[in-house]
Amino acid sequence: MNTSSENTIRIYVMGSAYEVPRGLTIMSAMEHAGWRFTRGAGCRSGFCGACSTVYRQEGDYRLRFVLACQTEAEDGMYLVQLPFTPAPRVSYTLAELNPDENVLLQHYPEIARCVSCNTCTKACPQDIEVMDYIQAALRGDIAQTASLSFDCIQCGLCSMRCPADIKHYHMAQMARRIYGRYMSPVTAHLEERIAEIEKGVYEEEVEALVKMTRSELEEIYAARVVE
Amino acid sequence: MNNAAYFPGCSLKAEAGDYERSAAAVMEVLGQPLEELERWTCCGTVYSLTDDDLMHQLASVRNLIRAQECGADEIVTLCSMCFNTLKRSKVFIEQDSARLETVNAFMDEEQDYEGGVEVFHLLEILRDQVGFESIEGKVTRPLSGLRVAPYYGCTLLRPREIGIDEPDTPTILQDFIRALWATPVEFAFQAECCGTYQIVDSPEMVLEKSHRILNSAMRAGADVLVTSCPLCMHNLRLCYEELRSSLPEKRELSIIYLTQLAAIAFEVETGELPTSMAKLVEGLPTSMELVP
Amino acid sequence: MRESIARVEATRPARLQAGPPPAMTPAEREKVLAEFHPDYKAEKKRALSIGVSAGNVVPSEVADMLEAHLLVDPAKIDLSSVDYDVDVLIIGGGGAGTVAAIFAHQEGIPAENILIVTKLRHGDCNSTMAQGGIQAADRPEDSPAIHYIDVMGGGHYANKPELVQAMVDDAPEIIRWHEELGVMYDKENGEYMEAHGGGTSRKRMHSCKDYTGKAIFNPIRDEARNLGIPTLEFSPVIELLLDGEGKAAGAITYNLETGEYRVIRAKATVLATGGFGRMHIQKFPTTNHYGATADGLVIAYRAGANLLDMDSVQYHPTGVAYPSAILGQLATEKLRSQGAMPINADGEVFVYPLEPRDVEAAAIIRECWSREKGVETVSGVRGVWLDTPMIDEIHGEGTLKDWLAAMWTMWHRHGIDITKDPALVYPTLHYQNGGVEIEADGETSVPGLFAGGEVEGGVHGKNRLMGNSLLGYNVFGRRAGIAAAKWAKSKKNKIKTLSLQHAVDFEQQLIDAGIETDIQSPMLLPDYRSKSVLERSLGRFL
Ligand SMILES: Cc1cc2nc3c(=O)[nH]c(=O)nc-3n(C[C@H](O)[C@H](O)[C@H](O)COP(=O)(O)OP(=O)(O)OC[C@H]3O[C@@H](n4cnc5c(N)ncnc54)[C@H](O)[C@@H]3O)c2cc1C
Ligand code: SF4
Ligand code: SF4
Ligand code: FES
Repeated sequence: MNTSSENTIRIYVMGSAYEVPRGLTIMSAMEHAGWRFTRGAGCRSGFCGACSTVYRQEGDYRLRFVLACQTEAEDGMYLVQLPFTPAPRVSYTLAELNPDENVLLQHYPEIARCVSCNTCTKACPQDIEVMDYIQAALRGDIAQTASLSFDCIQCGLCSMRCPADIKHYHMAQMARRIYGRYMSPVTAHLEERIAEIEKGVYEEEVEALVKMTRSELEEIYAARVVE
Repeated sequence: MNNAAYFPGCSLKAEAGDYERSAAAVMEVLGQPLEELERWTCCGTVYSLTDDDLMHQLASVRNLIRAQECGADEIVTLCSMCFNTLKRSKVFIEQDSARLETVNAFMDEEQDYEGGVEVFHLLEILRDQVGFESIEGKVTRPLSGLRVAPYYGCTLLRPREIGIDEPDTPTILQDFIRALWATPVEFAFQAECCGTYQIVDSPEMVLEKSHRILNSAMRAGADVLVTSCPLCMHNLRLCYEELRSSLPEKRELSIIYLTQLAAIAFEVETGELPTSMAKLVEGLPTSMELVP
Repeated sequence: MRESIARVEATRPARLQAGPPPAMTPAEREKVLAEFHPDYKAEKKRALSIGVSAGNVVPSEVADMLEAHLLVDPAKIDLSSVDYDVDVLIIGGGGAGTVAAIFAHQEGIPAENILIVTKLRHGDCNSTMAQGGIQAADRPEDSPAIHYIDVMGGGHYANKPELVQAMVDDAPEIIRWHEELGVMYDKENGEYMEAHGGGTSRKRMHSCKDYTGKAIFNPIRDEARNLGIPTLEFSPVIELLLDGEGKAAGAITYNLETGEYRVIRAKATVLATGGFGRMHIQKFPTTNHYGATADGLVIAYRAGANLLDMDSVQYHPTGVAYPSAILGQLATEKLRSQGAMPINADGEVFVYPLEPRDVEAAAIIRECWSREKGVETVSGVRGVWLDTPMIDEIHGEGTLKDWLAAMWTMWHRHGIDITKDPALVYPTLHYQNGGVEIEADGETSVPGLFAGGEVEGGVHGKNRLMGNSLLGYNVFGRRAGIAAAKWAKSKKNKIKTLSLQHAVDFEQQLIDAGIETDIQSPMLLPDYRSKSVLERSLGRFL
């Protein structure tokens, strides 16, 4: 069946067919068709993970996983949105944590249930090697977990699909925070600057600027040397 | 020499770091340095006993594919548990082409596993590729007089079709010990299971099993017990700590990895050793006060 | 398009050799702004005729939204039954709001006496979307004073000095707080990798690849969750509550799913509703999130808060111009700070790549619509090239993909590889420069109402510099949270009654002023349904 014309395509939203113009994202195509989102739309730019969408193409056995705001609608897509994943997270106090190689496993013991099926990776709209970061977590490699999961937008699709019921994105968030706090090098000049400010080293200079007239400031601004 | 990829497994990267460090140093001396497999995944830990459960073979097969991808024709493990799981999966999946096909079809994001990647435990490499005579030739600190109990546990030897030696009368560890100039001390429970991961759910059962093993080794007169498995190490050391208060002061047993024994004899990086080792081998730097 | 790309490629080696052209002189800047910046079109603005800031000139769309009918008739709301009774109410679960909640807690308010209410999910906000970076003067060759001058000059000296002072002084401490929260800042050899941003005279842009917003906000949200701070999602505030004496006293929320309202009584209220990009000022596309609809301005204005600098709007110079599916989405300034130059259809560089945003945007508009050197797409949009392949040429292959992964992915999803081909860009509506006027601790002119983040006015003057709004939401979110906690703890600030009289009065002023409009506000969400659907719509029966 030929469903498309030169300017339009046919998409199926939860089973019902709609004609929409070509060249729209899935999100805009659904809006064009009459949807007004309350769920399933957030940043509209691929950063928040609110618009997780599952689709199938006619003639393909595979389910595909994408962000509705970042993916162009195509003819023959059967679409449904999954904007929420009920996935419990574990509370912790970062400052009191022992950041050893067991810390992730202790907080999320179910990562040991991973069977390496790689379903999570296939579901990830950010093309993250999700299984690899679970595996890294399992062997206590926090740095690797943090860097592999860096692009995660917490859309929840991996956790929705995992046969082992792992809460990938919560665990990975924890790993990144542990890395950031305990393993990333500390820069000395930041501490020095804070100490200087606390001692009031810049107070006079800034106070003087605060009191200046516009034209005085303009002069200083014009004379800036750009590094 | 074959093209071998070293599969560490999770515990080697965590609590069993001493095993990996000493093994790396020893293999360096023997001219077959360990080359770690890229992007390996956990072996699956416990081999699945349900025949139709292909899902639980995925982890192992994926590792075999990783080896295939980098052109390796064999995988070498240190952990006996990983060895057992990987090897059994390999045999199971290669036995029946239908299983192999299904697993390959499921993992459509990977290249197909074509079969034929061998799985070895490090001990087999030492025996069959390096040879115990060459090992003997590299010894710089002969361990003469040291009485060492060879603890096999169960996963190196059983089931028979994947075991690295005769399950009821194994000799490989004794030969290894001899190559280092030490004296093997055989004992009744040397191939008995330590209780493995049951430690999580029924620690009493595991401690009881481990007690039997340690008592048997000490009664046979061993000063040192070597193991090839991080999980056995965990259970045995846990049990030993409990036992120690009831032992006469002088009666000690040093529980170490088999590669640590070789590292001592080669005088290379051993990883941390229990302090009791210092009393046995002169001039040995030890640091580990309490184990585990 | 291909032909034009070939011209860009032809001039690339020479441009790499020569480096960027010089920046404009102040006079040149004034000229291009006056002639081409959308803010300088007087006919697109008007003066407010009612409310405390009557007489202020604002974009017509903003005026329409401020001078609109209430969303619901206050008579329908029963204020005698209070659903949530808290010490500190935080309106908006974005960056400023979440920071305020954490610091209100640190200031001694128990988690259960704080409530964050937000329009969509906790974290569907502009704060997660930032790419480029956050400013803080921490390098030895930099100082708070130099930062101060950059901010004032960038803001055309309209900024409130004491707010800028607070911001530049707090900046290094904010970065340290982020480190404690585990934010993964880009570092090299143990030092921050700091870059320039438009209008900076020192390199002080801290980044987390090009996911800076997410990488900062998500740990902050995670921390609020660890602390157990309650959050009410999908519940935008539609009106503030005052007590009988003009003090802020809470708010009314509307459940987007069930349609119910809820009454919240609070001793102190923090307004952190962010910006207004979804109002599409002058029909520009926008980089902003779905819920950026100026609600905070509307409800605060009705409650008597005054507005500042609302006449100026920030257009980001480089929004996506092609493909149309992602029109208006952001091409981060970091692309330019890493070396990509804006290039016209003939392959010529026409502007210094890191002018302040308004100047850069005006120069691109001039290139497209006056000098006629833009590239036109099939859908009739014009744009100029951003020569992204220069980044790998300068810093080595793989740099763009490693450090600008979000950008690479965004175009890659549409079949464009920006390491090989330049990207087509055009200005897009980006930031609300002005807003509800605040003092240094986030106080507004309504007692008990505090504000921080993009909704606030005064910090950035008439033009915000890149990297100062992430900083701003942290600095003033924190200050507002602390001040709100102090206010709530003070015995003299008891709430006696709850009232919507100010809303009733506002509606009356509208009528008295003879304003005829069928708009109701706050807007809550934009409506992107197609005309054909709306024309046949019978509304919803079920
Ligand atoms: C694409 C993009 C890139 C950017 N890049 C940078 C950058 O590199 N550097 C930089 O410094 N700045 C950048 N910014 C600007 C910066 O991200 C924002 O200005 C800043 O994060 C605003 O923080 P906020 O907390 O005030 O608002 P937001 O983070 O937007 O939060 C506001 C929250 O309030 C909620 N809300 C709105 N109305 C209501 C209501 N009626 N009731 C309840 N809740 C409501 C919203 O849903 C939202 O969750 C960028 C912005 C965008 C859009
Ligand atoms: S989907 Fe679950 S079980 Fe499968 S690889 Fe991913 S984490 Fe492991
Ligand atoms: S890792 Fe999981 S939660 Fe994160 S982006 Fe990928 S699918 Fe979404
Ligand atoms: S709406 Fe945020 S990722 Fe799509």
